[in-house]
Amino acid sequence: MSNFIVRKAAVLGAGVMGAQIAAHLANAEVPVVLFDLPAATGDANGIVRKAIDGLRKLEPSPLASKDRVAYIDAANYGQHLEQLRECDLIIEAIAEKMEWKDDLYRKIAPFIAPTAIIASNTSGLSINRLAEGLPEALRARFCGIHFFNPPRYMQLVELIATRGTDAALLDNLESWLVSRLGKGIVRALDTPNFVANRVGVFSILAVMHHTQRLGLGFDVVDSLTGPIIGRPKSATYRTADVVGLDTLAHVIKTMQDTLPADPWHGYYGVPAWLAALIGKGALGQKTRAGIFRKDGRAIKVLDLGLQDYRDTASEIDAGVLAILKNRDSAARFAQLRASEHPQAKFLWAIFRDIFHYAAFHLADIADNARDLDFAMRWGFGWAQGPFETWQAAGWRAIAEAVQADIAAGRAMSPAPLPAWVFGRVADEGVHGAQGSYSASADVYRPRSALPVYQRQIFPERVLGEKAVTGETVWENDGVRLWTLPQVDAGIAIVSVKSRNHTLGRDVILGMQEAVARAEADYQGLVLWHEAPFAFGANLKEVAEALGAGDFELLEKYVAEFQNTSMALKYAKVPVVAAVQGMALGGGCEFLMHAAKRVIALESYIGLVEAGVGLIPAGGGCKEFAIRAAQSAARTGGNDPFEFIQPVFMTIAMATVSRSGAQAKELGFALDADKLVFNAHELLYVALREARGLAEAGYYPRLSPRGVKVAGRTGIANCEMMLANMKEGGMISAHDYAVARAAATALCGGEVETGSLVDERWLLTVERKLFVELLKNPKTQQRIQHMLETGKPLRN
Amino acid sequence: MSKQIQDAYIVAATRLPVGRRKGMLGHVRPDDMLAHAIRSVMAQAPGLDPALVEDVIVGCAMPEAEQGMNVARIGLLLAGMPNTVPGVTVNRFCASGLQTVAMAADRIRLGEADVMIAGGTETMSLMNQMTGNKTALNPLIFEKEENYAIGFGMGITAEKVAAQWQVSREDQDAFAVASHQKACAAIDAGHFRAEITPYAVRARVPDLQSGEVRVKEYLAENDEGPRRDSSIEGLARLRPVFAARGSVTAGNSSQMSDGAAAVLLVSEKVLKQFNLQPLARFAGFAVAGVAPEIMGIGPLEAIPRVLRQAGIGQHEVDWFELNEAFAAQALAVIRTLDLDPAKVNPLGGAIALGHPLGATGAIRTATLVHGLQRTRQRYGMVTMCIGTGMGAAGLFESMQ
Repeated sequence: MSNFIVRKAAVLGAGVMGAQIAAHLANAEVPVVLFDLPAATGDANGIVRKAIDGLRKLEPSPLASKDRVAYIDAANYGQHLEQLRECDLIIEAIAEKMEWKDDLYRKIAPFIAPTAIIASNTSGLSINRLAEGLPEALRARFCGIHFFNPPRYMQLVELIATRGTDAALLDNLESWLVSRLGKGIVRALDTPNFVANRVGVFSILAVMHHTQRLGLGFDVVDSLTGPIIGRPKSATYRTADVVGLDTLAHVIKTMQDTLPADPWHGYYGVPAWLAALIGKGALGQKTRAGIFRKDGRAIKVLDLGLQDYRDTASEIDAGVLAILKNRDSAARFAQLRASEHPQAKFLWAIFRDIFHYAAFHLADIADNARDLDFAMRWGFGWAQGPFETWQAAGWRAIAEAVQADIAAGRAMSPAPLPAWVFGRVADEGVHGAQGSYSASADVYRPRSALPVYQRQIFPERVLGEKAVTGETVWENDGVRLWTLPQVDAGIAIVSVKSRNHTLGRDVILGMQEAVARAEADYQGLVLWHEAPFAFGANLKEVAEALGAGDFELLEKYVAEFQNTSMALKYAKVPVVAAVQGMALGGGCEFLMHAAKRVIALESYIGLVEAGVGLIPAGGGCKEFAIRAAQSAARTGGNDPFEFIQPVFMTIAMATVSRSGAQAKELGFALDADKLVFNAHELLYVALREARGLAEAGYYPRLSPRGVKVAGRTGIANCEMMLANMKEGGMISAHDYAVARAAATALCGGEVETGSLVDERWLLTVERKLFVELLKNPKTQQRIQHMLETGKPLRN
Repeated sequence: MSKQIQDAYIVAATRLPVGRRKGMLGHVRPDDMLAHAIRSVMAQAPGLDPALVEDVIVGCAMPEAEQGMNVARIGLLLAGMPNTVPGVTVNRFCASGLQTVAMAADRIRLGEADVMIAGGTETMSLMNQMTGNKTALNPLIFEKEENYAIGFGMGITAEKVAAQWQVSREDQDAFAVASHQKACAAIDAGHFRAEITPYAVRARVPDLQSGEVRVKEYLAENDEGPRRDSSIEGLARLRPVFAARGSVTAGNSSQMSDGAAAVLLVSEKVLKQFNLQPLARFAGFAVAGVAPEIMGIGPLEAIPRVLRQAGIGQHEVDWFELNEAFAAQALAVIRTLDLDPAKVNPLGGAIALGHPLGATGAIRTATLVHGLQRTRQRYGMVTMCIGTGMGAAGLFESMQ
């Protein structure tokens, strides 16, 4: 098999989706040309340029770092179609009008390279029908590629083959999307709205139907359909507002127009109240009013009874809440079904109807239950797909309950459950050891055999799927040292076991032990566990020592923390940190001390100690002081402060990176570190990196001496910034004190500018400052507040 | 009254148009701008032998990097002046350009020189930041309470002036809009034409498409700062920059700019010898210190001081060029001294026209002496506040 390489990509259509897809390609170091119509007046690329500019302002940012926009070239169909010839991947993302797409395909066809892939990001139109708009010769390289908004963050991409799509090409594209763009792929069938939107939009319609039937408020329903049942915070109606009520209506219309034979067709319509909102131009977030409206700081909700907005009052009934908190899934569903409370009736009804719908349509819309469940997880942010939820609650019992409701006319549709529901699935479930059930083929499908998935040692698992465990070498209460002999028996893996992966005493000491054992018996050490990487030091342990007033113990604790950082840095075998999710405080310091970092795109890294009135003292300030001196030595001025200043602001403001790429810009990671777009590949890549370093004859550098520090003048420079911020009322006196301590640590202590120090000195400076801050009652208040509320206190 | 043996006369004063930071003069070096101003000012006194120039004194508020190495001497040599003419760079922050006029005049007034060039140059585009290319503050500033305000940025001092002199956000914004309106009207009426020597910019830029160096040429003719679309509503939307609950915004503060100017001063003897027409007589200069945290009110001390020195009343001054570092401090000065608003910055001020720090004093001197000529008025003053707490004021008498 020859290599599949995307040297350059084109995105046609600079709308919200097109521009963001282009941004994500640029994030992945793929140069991209973004096309749209030529502007009628002024700059012919004006439409695209405006869209590219818009990318800078979008939140959450589609850009992994600000400079990414520079790699998106603006082009228009009038002048630049020649540029398509260089593109290996062309993604069409224009408006959902068949005639427009046909017209565009005709126009671009002569410029498409013979090996290029052409894919449409349509969310609902028939892919087979779209293919007809292309010359015969191009059709084998055409498919559907359905991204979800926002494409950087939503994992799902649905790939849809036409009858004529080249199977090998689709495999290549899938592999590339998984590994390079970090996406989760579901192979969807060419049916209207594909998988996720088909089920997801029905779910919204079902929620709307039962809301109205049971006379519930939109606010209450959002409380019921949010995190409490494993769905996103924005739940149902808030999601509709964010998506745009007009967009939602459009998708519903597609279902209405294209699915006349669907048993639920009668529900594929826009409720009158929703049509009225759209008619008034209240389209949701983009018009500042929709189902919810922001009044100053208050959020008001539309009340259909009052025909007006009112304050939100989204209380879940205590009885219903108690049911939802029941850990026994079977009992939970049984109780919901038995309850007479409208909120419980509502919840049972929406689950029943989604189970019914998903089961009825599985054979038509998806190859197997895993695909449908993953589509809902990755496309709609559900913690579990409908089949997993069903299976967890006891397949047969739920199936019978749903059947009974259908028979009694309580379900939305009288269509019977398909026979397979009561077949072997009733005993084995849809997800089992042999794979996930395919209703169309009546077999259990194993996971994809594409080689790209071999890189996912810990893939996302559906209910019941077992994770590999590896072989434990040693463990304590904080960490586990283990290996994966089937991947590389010579590289040890150390994983933190604590909740949120906070770094307490057991972790700190365990990590030292892990390094020692790795040095003795292995060729490398990988620091890996699933997200988050680490929430920082264990504040509870710190608070306990504070309560006892034992500052000597605290200083020892910090010293041990520093010893761990130093052990990681000076290990005789390479230590590779595999980072994903939050990596805060001490977690950030640990990864900074590794020989190399492998960082997932979605990594949020920062030294946030200022939030609890402290400074980084696990070697974080020390490491930046050393790097500043090393960078300065390469400049004419040899002034370390030049490199301290940006870091100082990062630490003083407790700035957290918004991506792995930005972590490099902030200095937490280095340019040579590996950015990994699919977090499931992290461990694999880290093991390979560790092996590579070991094979290349890794040895640690000597602890630096003669480190030139910014000293007192550097501290004064930082104080100037602080003085102005304090005078301007932007920071408190304690913020000032904490930031000054950080400045002092970064500048190597209160010594003359240009003094030469060593690493040990820098550690001592930051440790002493840390302990001094711990003695400050205002810092103690901050720690207490963080422990109690999880939020920083500004005092 | 100061003791002097002769008067000093300004026979020529010219400046480059002021560019917005990173704007039309964004790549132009400060020594090149200065050389252009010196060449232009000499050209305005035809027949005057350049070798007679006793010294060239140039103001610059950040004399380092591109404007380091004694930029005065480099600029005059680049201008083609004889190498027998010396040059010195002077720093009194925002008053540097006015300070040089006073120093040049004083050499003549003492009888030690007959021909002097004063001036200023500053590029805020090429300089890294407000504290210079290398920030290096004295730790003592923060160790002693009484030194603390030395470390304040200018914005914070403006907030303090706004609070102490009760200058509202609305008044500051209205003042800023008026500055833009006056400046735009003055440009349209051609009132700056006499003082501006256009600068032919020649920038070598990489053409990434062709791989060739492309030479971008254009003539910088007019001040770039004034905004025709400035409005109260627009300014009201801007957030305070320096204080969480402050009133000083980017819109009611002076603009960061690039610019240069030169002023040619001579004795009466030279006036006659070369048959030169004086624009104005140098009538006095004063500088005074105030508390660093309210540096913006510096002119409150300097203005009365120079008037006393010259023996004239405030009412006799027809035109005040009051540098608008911030609307807050300008309004505090105008209100406290009861300056007639109609006489203050009739052509707009630094909020619209820009404030290339060390060049501003010489630039506004050029504006004043030409303006007094055009309007046939007699006394005019250039005055400004100065960082770390000072005020300067220079008085000029127009020679009709």
